[in-house]
Amino acid sequence: MKFLKNVFSQLHTFLLWALVSFLVWSWIFTFVNDAPAAQKVTVYCNVPAIEDTALAVKLEEHLPEGLKMIQVHSFDYVMFDTGTIDQGDIFILPQSAIEDYDGQFSPIAGQEGTLIYDPATGQGAAMSYIIYGDEPYYLFLGAGSVHLEDGLAQQIAQLLLTLP
Amino acid sequence: MTGKIVELYSDADLARLERRIWRWRMGLLVLSAAALIACIVLAAMASTGTAKQMELSAIVVSTLAGWIVIYGSMFIVTAGRRELAHAQMLREEERTRQEGKPALTGQRVRIKKSIVARRIELRGAGPVRTAMVSENRAKALEKAGATAVYTVHGYVAAYEVAS
Repeated sequence: MKFLKNVFSQLHTFLLWALVSFLVWSWIFTFVNDAPAAQKVTVYCNVPAIEDTALAVKLEEHLPEGLKMIQVHSFDYVMFDTGTIDQGDIFILPQSAIEDYDGQFSPIAGQEGTLIYDPATGQGAAMSYIIYGDEPYYLFLGAGSVHLEDGLAQQIAQLLLTLP
Repeated sequence: MTGKIVELYSDADLARLERRIWRWRMGLLVLSAAALIACIVLAAMASTGTAKQMELSAIVVSTLAGWIVIYGSMFIVTAGRRELAHAQMLREEERTRQEGKPALTGQRVRIKKSIVARRIELRGAGPVRTAMVSENRAKALEKAGATAVYTVHGYVAAYEVAS
């Protein structure tokens, strides 16, 4: 009883500590699990659902030399910070959203984008990790990607396209 | 005629209180260090596949350890130090004898930056007088069957029982 009374008398302190703990460790883990843009490839997926961690781990199994990590994010990141679109390396977008980002992407293999999911056949890449919607999805390379010249963005994109 | 004088805080009590504070301080220090090291290890071990689990583990470890340290610091170490300071003050300063049988009242007083005290009434042949006693010792004082108390600044420091 005395214990509970003591806890309730300082409830604000306990809650504040929980909040500080959450914020500090979230920041530290974000910092620790990141790498400079030159050492990572970032994939942004505008899809209904994605197993981002599993996909990143799968892509990291074949990590090319010069890269430390692959990051896979849902497109919410782009919505929260529009600056990320300039730094992303690979984007997966539904056909209906492509116009919104006109000029932001770099051509891959001479095309504006590569079809990654075709709803007509139900066939697509990385379907073990990505749930696509009812329209065609395309893969793009970011125009601002630092891995266009070294070919690492194209390499990861090709790897992504071959995943089951 | 006076009976046997019993100190509210004996030398052994003071030593026990000091040891208890020291043990808790060391324990909390060790817990803080262990939690910090555990969180750093979790952060160092994190990879793309395990980062979310490790982050959650670090948050849980840090939060729980922090709660224990906050509770221990505020309600055990600080409270113990205050009681020790109060007890030392009772042992060192000049006392006043007051006759009467101590009886607890329901009144609790939290003295700023010091102990929680209980008000007692000293009932005897004359008018009822009041004094204060540390809450941790209040029940023991009432049961002791004291016939008089010795106070320092109105706080009971010792009591007298029939020898």
